[in-house]
Amino acid sequence: MQGDVLMGSQETIYGANLAEMERLREEVTASLEVLRRQICEKTAFDPIEHILSRVKSEESMRDKCRMRGLPETAHSALVDIRDAIGIRVVCAFRSDVYLVRDHLAHLEGFEVVEEKDYIKNAKENGYRSYHMILRTADGRVPVGCEPVSAGDEPSRGFYIEVQLRTISMDTWAALEHHMKYKKQAPANERLIVSELKRCADELASTDLSMQALRDLILEEL
Amino acid sequence: MTTKILYAEDTVDLNRAVSVVLEREGFQVTACHDGVEAESALAAEAFDLAILDIMMPGKSGLDVLRDMRATGDVTPVILLTAKTEVDDRVDGLMAGADDYLPKPFAMKELVARVYSLARRNTDYGTGNLSYADVELNAETYELKARNSVRISPVEFELLRTLILHPNRTLSVDFLLGRIWSDEDDADEATVSLYVRYLRSKLEGIGAHVTVSERGGGYVLEEVETV
Repeated sequence: MQGDVLMGSQETIYGANLAEMERLREEVTASLEVLRRQICEKTAFDPIEHILSRVKSEESMRDKCRMRGLPETAHSALVDIRDAIGIRVVCAFRSDVYLVRDHLAHLEGFEVVEEKDYIKNAKENGYRSYHMILRTADGRVPVGCEPVSAGDEPSRGFYIEVQLRTISMDTWAALEHHMKYKKQAPANERLIVSELKRCADELASTDLSMQALRDLILEEL
Repeated sequence: MTTKILYAEDTVDLNRAVSVVLEREGFQVTACHDGVEAESALAAEAFDLAILDIMMPGKSGLDVLRDMRATGDVTPVILLTAKTEVDDRVDGLMAGADDYLPKPFAMKELVARVYSLARRNTDYGTGNLSYADVELNAETYELKARNSVRISPVEFELLRTLILHPNRTLSVDFLLGRIWSDEDDADEATVSLYVRYLRSKLEGIGAHVTVSERGGGYVLEEVETV
């Protein structure tokens, strides 16, 4: 999630939608801040460690369109590609991830169009996160995204990609990202890949121990 | 760690004599005098080894053994038989006995066989384990069902003990003696916490297995929904 879009550029792939996209990004993160305060008051545990959000930069979005063989249009960026608005919520505990998930699933004005639980179904390499794709459900649709050809999907709203994970899952993903996107594969790649998987499983185990301890402490309060 | 032995023999004098010898060797012996008594003792607690006489009133040692194996109990068993017929020995081994000893036997041979089996259980009993949809790797401590995690050495020992005695309630004292024998500080709360860890991890990997609390002890059992 790098670099924000240059505001006010007439060249933007997002056309006239940029302000609305930024507003949506803020709306969802603000609702998460409200949830955070409510839970903090109730349990004295802050469920959220930090929130990152961004509108995908002009350059990254155009790169992605080219990579996927899509024309560099608003339709590609806002209908075919669904991570133009991205939010990452990093939680302290595993149960907090599901708490935030439930909050977002019932968020007014949005609907969940896709969910993938890579925490309960970790990827082969050890990657763990909860992925959601939300879509605005209040009739707001992006401007200038009318289908170009007959096979194009009509626009039904703005998409927001959300990634939820614990601190340890986040640390792991950051390291794995470094390895995956290195220009040259490391000589001992196989060792690193298997050790990353081992670490992912150890971190998951520690997350679960910490969860059990926290539940015990909360029970006794 | 004291090795716990269940000994079932209906001849009262022999029962007493063997029990005394085994206790003198440092084993903890639960003596039973018929198959039914042996069965309820086996259901009530976990043993490291069982010595069963074949010919007993009520229920034969062979039937006790068959029921043990049918319920997944892998406790090592030595069968004692008055008959030296090949068929009886074969029946015993086929029913899941680990060893047999024809009567009359020399006491020191029984003791040697008990040592041999008890040693096998602790030295070699560290292979990979499985229960329902859960697999536990003894080398890497990887615990696997739909997902995998790496558990700690103490968690591994606890789960291994539970898997070796599935569907059977293990008392807190038994678990403390088995897993925390070197730690004076360990108590009921320690066991309870490690059971919580295991539950959390079993749930975390999407296993259809949990550790339940029952009658002051813990039992590993299958659950339908995760």
